[in-house]
Amino acid sequence: MDMNEIKEIFFQECEEQLAELESGLLKLNDGDRDPETVNAVFRAVHSIKGGAGAFGLDDLVSFAHVFETTLDCVRSNKLEPTQDVLKVMLKSADVLADLVSASRDGGSVDESRSRGLVKELEALAHGELPTPSAHAEAPKPAPKAAPAPAPKAEAPKPTDDSGFQPIPFSFDGFDADEETTLEGSTYEVIFKPRRELYSKGNEAALLLRDLSRLGDMSINCDMDQLPALDKMDPEASYFGWKISLKTTKSEDDIRAVFEFAEWDCDLDVKLSEEAASEEELPMIPVPFDLAILDEPSAAEEEEKSVQSADETVAAAVSAAETASSVTKAAARASEKKESAAAAAAAAAQNNAAAAAAAAGQTIRVDLDRVDRLINLVGELVINQAMLSQSVIENDTTGTSSINMGLEELQQLTREIQDSVMAIRAQPVKPVFQRMSRIVREVADMVGKQIRLVTEGENTEVDKTVIDKLAEPLTHMIRNAVDHGIETPEKREAAGKESEGTIKLSAKHRSGRIVIELADDGGGINRERVRQKAIDNDLIAADANLSDEEIDNLIFMPGFSTADKISDISGRGVGMDVVKRSIQALGGRISISSRPGLGSTFTMSLPLTLAVLDGMVVTVAGQTLVVPLTAIVETLQPEASSIHSFGATQRLISIRNSFCPLVDVGRILNFRATQANPVEGVALLVESEGGGQRALMVDAIQGQRQVVIKSLEANYTHVPGIAAATILGDGRVALILDVDAVVAASRGQSLKPEMSLAATG
Amino acid sequence: MKKKVLTVDDSRTIRNMLLVTLNNAGFETIQAEDGVEGLEVLENCNPDVIVTDINMPRLDGFGFIEGVRRNEKYRAVPILVLTTESDAEKKNRARQAGATGWIVKPFDPAKLIDAIERVTA
Amino acid sequence: MAAKKASPGSLKLSAVLDLNEASNLHGKLMSMRGSDLVIDASGVDRVGVQCAQVLVAGVRAWEEDKKSFLVEKASDAFQKTMQLIGINIENLVAKEI
Repeated sequence: MDMNEIKEIFFQECEEQLAELESGLLKLNDGDRDPETVNAVFRAVHSIKGGAGAFGLDDLVSFAHVFETTLDCVRSNKLEPTQDVLKVMLKSADVLADLVSASRDGGSVDESRSRGLVKELEALAHGELPTPSAHAEAPKPAPKAAPAPAPKAEAPKPTDDSGFQPIPFSFDGFDADEETTLEGSTYEVIFKPRRELYSKGNEAALLLRDLSRLGDMSINCDMDQLPALDKMDPEASYFGWKISLKTTKSEDDIRAVFEFAEWDCDLDVKLSEEAASEEELPMIPVPFDLAILDEPSAAEEEEKSVQSADETVAAAVSAAETASSVTKAAARASEKKESAAAAAAAAAQNNAAAAAAAAGQTIRVDLDRVDRLINLVGELVINQAMLSQSVIENDTTGTSSINMGLEELQQLTREIQDSVMAIRAQPVKPVFQRMSRIVREVADMVGKQIRLVTEGENTEVDKTVIDKLAEPLTHMIRNAVDHGIETPEKREAAGKESEGTIKLSAKHRSGRIVIELADDGGGINRERVRQKAIDNDLIAADANLSDEEIDNLIFMPGFSTADKISDISGRGVGMDVVKRSIQALGGRISISSRPGLGSTFTMSLPLTLAVLDGMVVTVAGQTLVVPLTAIVETLQPEASSIHSFGATQRLISIRNSFCPLVDVGRILNFRATQANPVEGVALLVESEGGGQRALMVDAIQGQRQVVIKSLEANYTHVPGIAAATILGDGRVALILDVDAVVAASRGQSLKPEMSLAATG
Repeated sequence: MKKKVLTVDDSRTIRNMLLVTLNNAGFETIQAEDGVEGLEVLENCNPDVIVTDINMPRLDGFGFIEGVRRNEKYRAVPILVLTTESDAEKKNRARQAGATGWIVKPFDPAKLIDAIERVTA
Repeated sequence: MAAKKASPGSLKLSAVLDLNEASNLHGKLMSMRGSDLVIDASGVDRVGVQCAQVLVAGVRAWEEDKKSFLVEKASDAFQKTMQLIGINIENLVAKEI
């Protein structure tokens, strides 16, 4: 691993920390006062600062530092995290995110914005308390320079045979030459450790070793304070030293040796008045030479065996750790699995592992490689289907072991496909989190107070879906803030809280992901929408539309209800574009609105863009695929259950209720006249935005998993058709867009071509 | 003989930097992600020195240091804390908790190795 | 306290004479008082000042008891550290009188 890779890890971690930061701030904003929430927020900024410092990202460091200082005030309860305070902090989080991206991808950050926030943050930190930052930057306590207990004037021990007087050491052959090469001054160092020095893991012997490395050292050990063996505390500090050090280094260098110890010892460093004074000391110095420290020692050799035993233990430990982390990951996986029960079991399990990526073990793989794999698996699925088909066609006996083998192959192919798909599944969280920033910024611009509530952010969906979701979602959020939520004054006048709420949620439902965006604003102004549609010649002035139909007018091309085109949502992008992007994803979007209470947009998207379980049907000689998820049941209509209604409408009665019959061949213009329902098959489908419909097709060929090939990418968008696929016999079949067909059948009052263009 | 270093830090970035720096310098490195894990790992790894961050989830650096110092077997192990220059208060608290020394951030490999050399035999 | 007074006791020092070992070493020396003692420091890898304090106090105690206290074999690490902290290893010997 090199620094570039670590830097990459750093940026990944920044993303996680930024997410952590934002969600923590939002929790605080919601009144969460758990100290751990504040701590997590603080840690996130601290952590970004720490890494940024290591890579010399100075802009990032200095902003993070100011931010951190203010957060520290919150953490230490010096600053109350009121909504106003949090507003500044959320903005700061956004700037921090910008600084991170700028550091990663180059580019610049709005400096006036970050400077302004630095001022605001500093004001917060200073405002309510006596300058905490000044406190933090207070100079460290000056080292205590109290002189060591002066050596007693008289000789320490009266008896010569006591043996404790320092004795000059003389090792042969190492002292003389060194002394002559050394220039500089001679310092006198008095060093007396206190007990704490040792209990904190410092060791006087090591300090003396480092000191000896600075130059030529002679040392006297003062043992006067050592009590008798039975009176002593083995962990107390009794020895002190008087050292004479001849060195070219400065006094600061000498003191630096004691940097970690200066609080826990008496230390005095001063220039020797004259070298001669040393001789007058009662104790005779022990000259010391560093060289002997560097000799290899036999003891070290011996220790190798001890060490290798340690290593064995450590290896066993790390093996155990690995095992336990695997268990953890499995536990997470199963937890997750329950919540995503709707998703295919294998996918859910694998997805869960992906969700736990932050904490669990992961590898990073180039997306290209995954895509290549997915493509290949798609080919494999098609190939396997073609093989099956040709075997069935050629093998008339039908009992050969080849059939069994093929079945197994099919099973395996399926499993491979599920597993490969799961690789790309990711939670929608990152997209959701981006939205909260957009809400803040847009709300700020238009002077509204809005809170974004998110739900189900861990719901997983294919990465390609996530990537393509951001843009339409952004647009819808902007719309909701700009048009959906009213100004605080209007809200108050309507008896609502002045702060509006936008709720963004995701969940799995019958093999799809459903994303809902609900605001508690004023709802669709149907009168205005209708008028606008008439003005724009989208509908006839006398058209009789249901509320739902009026609401859906906003998805028509070029439709905009804002009286004046605002900065935010009036960029020439309408809801029709949103609808198109959602449809391009194989998704559907619908709106339900209640005047005065708000609007809810519901998007339903496939979990993956790669495969689909479909029912292969025949309509007017064409082969179509109907997504299985849309089909409730299939039935064979009887003449007695078909009822005409109006000029062209027909209903089918199913278990005492009536359901409109939709002639697929007619809608898609496959045939000019209506088919006879009794000769075909009805597929009862559930459509987005309400009710069941019976789709009429000529015959059912069978069920099959098909690999989706985008029509948009290869051809162009075709109303009523979601995509295409290649069948086992190599033929291309179109995949039906059920909702578009249903909507087209319903939108009789709309101009037919418009209805297809707008809703299909 | 390789010296063994236990590092405790919740930042993946810093953990990786510590790992690379220490391995390059010939140390054996054992890593933990927070104070709780640090104390767990400590039991079996017998480090020559410990390097720990202060701000960590679950159990912060102060608590971790106190935990080590209370441990009969490992109370004498030198502990270096990763801290920022400006934060004299934190440095002090760390010392009171029983830290041996500190490494001033931003993270500098040379300073790290130097500090480790200073507190180990 | 009193070990066999007749035969000299012997004590092999641990490899690591750190803070943790100081109390141990102190206890061992206390229990071996009263007879001659031979210390084997050949396996010592690290010496902290606190263990050095205990050893020096031991030498003084043996001195007082008029028993011999002899560091017989000493590893390089032991010798070097003792020299470093200003203790002459040759003096870690209580002379019998």
